[in-house]
Amino acid sequence: MRAIFPAYLLALIIALAPTSVLATDDVEGAYRLGGGYALGDTGLRLGGYASTEIDVPRTAPWHFSLSDLSLFLTWDNGSRLHFFSELEAGDLLSAGEDESLGVQNVHFEFERCYLDTLVNNNLTVRVGKFLSPIGQWNIIHAAPLVWTTSRPVATENLFSTHATGLMLHGSVNVAQHLLEYSVYGDASETFEAHRSNNPFENAFGAHVRYYLTDSLQLGATYANFVLNDLQPIRYNLAGLDLAWSYQRYELSSEIVYRTTHHTTVENTWQGFIQGVAPISQQWFVIGRYEYFGQTQADAGQIGLLGLAYRPLPPVILKLEYRLGEHNEVLAPDGLSASFAILF
Amino acid sequence: MRLRLVYPMLLILCLAGFPAWAAEPLAVVTAPDYPLSSLSLDDLKLIYLRKSQMDAEGKRWIPLNLPATDPLRRDFSRALFSLLPEEQEEYWNIQYFNGISPPKVMASEEAILRFVASTNGAIGYVRKQKVDPRVKVLLLITPFPPN
Repeated sequence: MRAIFPAYLLALIIALAPTSVLATDDVEGAYRLGGGYALGDTGLRLGGYASTEIDVPRTAPWHFSLSDLSLFLTWDNGSRLHFFSELEAGDLLSAGEDESLGVQNVHFEFERCYLDTLVNNNLTVRVGKFLSPIGQWNIIHAAPLVWTTSRPVATENLFSTHATGLMLHGSVNVAQHLLEYSVYGDASETFEAHRSNNPFENAFGAHVRYYLTDSLQLGATYANFVLNDLQPIRYNLAGLDLAWSYQRYELSSEIVYRTTHHTTVENTWQGFIQGVAPISQQWFVIGRYEYFGQTQADAGQIGLLGLAYRPLPPVILKLEYRLGEHNEVLAPDGLSASFAILF
Repeated sequence: MRLRLVYPMLLILCLAGFPAWAAEPLAVVTAPDYPLSSLSLDDLKLIYLRKSQMDAEGKRWIPLNLPATDPLRRDFSRALFSLLPEEQEEYWNIQYFNGISPPKVMASEEAILRFVASTNGAIGYVRKQKVDPRVKVLLLITPFPPN
């Protein structure tokens, strides 16, 4: 199999799977903002998210884009099978100081496309393209779900954000607390026809998240992979992540450490710590510190101060300023603003 | 003699100032022929977060909720998660991004009873006094007093 054809796959599983008969006393309409559109009792649900952003770097031209338009297609009819796909149109509309408004940068990609099979309550088998389970941010990176327009460098720079292959995931109870796990093997080179930016050549890895309490989770990541920047290089990556919340305050942090035996590439640390505090019912202030080792330059550091307005849970407006050192390439100083909606 | 009157009056005033909390337990119900006979609060929590999707027999759970404004739903949510329904919306946004929908919302306790009685794997909650032979009680929950 060289490529994944979601429509054919979906038609096949709908044809093969039993359909549960559901009563009609439910009061939800077919559409709910932040919940998508349910196509009757078929188990199909359509939805997605959109975001638009403007970046005004301190020493580079400004740039505006309709940065993401993602469409979700979910199928879950109550059987053991569950299909999910996300088709993304990136930079659908863009403009800038040196560029007129247009669609010249548009690109399409299946961000995710997988079939889950529930084996039992503790184990689900996933086949297809999915987000690499490295840290927490990468798994929930959609603009309406995160507090800042810019993404921490540590959540995408040292690894591929996607993998294509097989994943075993689920949760078990350990010492009276929930432990979520995912173990995966990637063969993007073989299975992904329309390849993402800088994909894994091949990879395997695992992530666990332990719920110490309802509001405190600790995670750990390991991955072994080949990336092909200028030449194929095999890396080991280890990481830790933390998420804590109290009422509407949040604290999160991720660190990753990547090593390789290759003599020309240095071992690299990256990480961030971010705090969010409510200043009213709908306004939040965000502070973040980032540290990122770089292969071609001195280690960079960034401080970010942001403001977010969330009038409804699926809608968010963000404004932030970023300032740092040795950050010109990966995350330059400047102002960013964005609007995002989950629909 | 005067004190005999003062103390009962003070007591009445105190009681008037603090209305009595007499919450009726919530009954968590499934179909009568469902293999399980009880359920822990922790297990119920995982089912309503959609983190537990199958029972021990391999059947999919179908958790049911009442509308977010229904007082019973609010009692249930506070008892189970220490959160009100609107405080869980961020969680459900993240689940939606991963293709997981929140529990189905039914119009009334009677609708829950009808659905549970006729659907294998369905689980819902009603006031204890509403329980009838169409369903089986797995767990009784005492709601927290309102803030």
